[in-house]
Amino acid sequence: MFYAPETAPIDLPTFKSTISLPYTLTPGKSAGTFLAEMPNRRIVGTRFADGAVIAPGQDFSPVDGEEPVALVQAPETGELTAFTRTGGVVLGLVRLDGCRNAFVHKILADIYTLAVGQRVAARWSTSEQGTSITAIEGFVPAPDAPVGNVLPLDTPAEPLGVINYAMALHYDHAYGPYYGRMFDEIRQNGVVMGVRGSNADEALLPPREIDDITHKRTGTWKACADTGTIRACSLINMEVYGQTRPVPYAYAEIVLDGASTKMIHIIEIDDLETAKQTIKPGTRVRAVWTQGERKGAVSDIERFEVIGE
Amino acid sequence: MGREVGIVGVGQTHHARRRTDVSQAGLVREAVDRALADANLSMDDIDTVVIATGPVLFAAVNQPEKWVVDAIGAQGKSVVRLTSGGGAGFAGALAGYYQVAGGYSDRTLVVAYDKLSEGQLQYSISTLYDPFWGREFAVGIMGFSAAYWRARMDVLGHTEEAAAMVAAKNRNNALKNPYAHQKKAVTVEDVLASKPLCWPIKLLDVPPISDGAAAIVLASDKVAHHSTTRPAWIRGMAYCCEADNAPERSLMLSEPLAIASRQVYRAAGITNPRRQFDVVEVQEPYSCFELNYYESLGLCPPGQAADLVASGATQVDGDIPVNPSGGCMGANPIGAVGVIRLIEAATQVMGRNETHQIKDAKLALVQSGGGWANLRGCAVLSA
Repeated sequence: MFYAPETAPIDLPTFKSTISLPYTLTPGKSAGTFLAEMPNRRIVGTRFADGAVIAPGQDFSPVDGEEPVALVQAPETGELTAFTRTGGVVLGLVRLDGCRNAFVHKILADIYTLAVGQRVAARWSTSEQGTSITAIEGFVPAPDAPVGNVLPLDTPAEPLGVINYAMALHYDHAYGPYYGRMFDEIRQNGVVMGVRGSNADEALLPPREIDDITHKRTGTWKACADTGTIRACSLINMEVYGQTRPVPYAYAEIVLDGASTKMIHIIEIDDLETAKQTIKPGTRVRAVWTQGERKGAVSDIERFEVIGE
Repeated sequence: MGREVGIVGVGQTHHARRRTDVSQAGLVREAVDRALADANLSMDDIDTVVIATGPVLFAAVNQPEKWVVDAIGAQGKSVVRLTSGGGAGFAGALAGYYQVAGGYSDRTLVVAYDKLSEGQLQYSISTLYDPFWGREFAVGIMGFSAAYWRARMDVLGHTEEAAAMVAAKNRNNALKNPYAHQKKAVTVEDVLASKPLCWPIKLLDVPPISDGAAAIVLASDKVAHHSTTRPAWIRGMAYCCEADNAPERSLMLSEPLAIASRQVYRAAGITNPRRQFDVVEVQEPYSCFELNYYESLGLCPPGQAADLVASGATQVDGDIPVNPSGGCMGANPIGAVGVIRLIEAATQVMGRNETHQIKDAKLALVQSGGGWANLRGCAVLSA
């Protein structure tokens, strides 16, 4: 018989994390030309060897992967093939006259007046003058619009090589009971706690339910010291996106006294040459805690410093 | 045992720091067209397709295989996408190998790529770290790699000079590789004098950031002869992992690679890798990695990698040439690199490497790895 254990989810605070990144994307020739032609108020499509036209233009046929034989100017009129509404905005799939495919854009009309198969026409934006598909503000119902023709594209603009783009992804990570206790202890007591391995006195950090090596349940909780030994380290001297400290500084993998696994942290340095001598595997270090109220995070330790003789 | 599997066609792009003339999908198309032409096949002849890339954060397109399928004309075929960080290409090839060896496909196309000019490489890699425990202090893969190289210096004698010899060897080898884009002759002294980025890693220990794609066609022994009279036969292939933050993880040797090589050598009948292999291709994202691989692959005992590179044995004219192609130092489109290394080794044992053929090469070793530092694999190819 199917047995359901008596557990139930509990709502607990989450750990908020954001991954935020800038990009420089490459649209390729056809899409790049489509975008480059937006300020000229021309809709660029691609014609393939079998005569099919795709708009907006694509470098490869969605039917068979073939490359296009020509860039063309697609008409600004077409047919609505599907529509929906999201967040108060009506979105539709529009197949331009003479084209094989439909593409998604805003439909500037009350959704209750729309019908699949109805005629629509592009409305150009009065404010967007740049190389974005939003230069087309949307499509409006155009019941009497004549069927447009696909035309040769006269002197196309140079395709855009790069498009700037940015993405910020927000996450709410659940701590779980082991990380939850560890960070509670850090916040309330300023103590880093791990759990003992299944058959060892040294603590695993971060704490976990199952011992990685023996695959058995881990043991009891144990407070580790905030002093430890460097296991591996490097001297960071390059600036990369997302860095929160000025270079140079040391990246260190530190085994706290009483623990068997590493934690990653940083050590401030004055200059590379001195640090090469003073910061090495085996060097003894101590945590420097932040002043004021702790958050319950590894960053409550501001940095580590070398323990002097 | 499964069926015999051979590499019967290869193709790669001319890798570049930035390709603004093609999209990600267009880049993939170039490599696929070349591999199919090389195998005398068309997409119609392909049963299954494996698409491999690095993490999606590298270039901000989730499920890129949907885009790629259109671009390579793979509509309606069995397509799987696979990602495993730097080892993505190799892991993709392994998946393809299983399909053909297992009898589920006669011809499988494996294509791997990354377009690294589009995103923030080291920051993207930092997101591989535990968000609770380490990410906020991570410096991509470079800070980590440099830290363990520093530890190996003390324990295994992997000195800055030994790594500089690797960097100079591979950079100078890349001069002859028509697909490499970083081509500048350098000396060991140049490497040692270059700017520290994550010391001990210095600028010239670091490969370029690249846009590139690479593709291979794998075929069963039943149909391989339609493409070539001399396939590169895969005699063994494995990809192993270890726990990320376990107490016994020393990171002095690459334990997963040692395990993988033992498996593969047993399958391929390799008892003395140093003597038996004619050529070796390894994925060395930083020069210090290659020293580590010499030891984990059994080309020398632990602690003797510095002596091995200093002896000149791994130079193009040595007895065990490593990375005659220039390795990652010539081009490093990360997700594609595993397939690029397979291509380089395959063309060597097929006897048709036009620019840096090792004379009479019959048996080649390929290493690749990725994910975190804990995924490592290798393969043996033979004529």
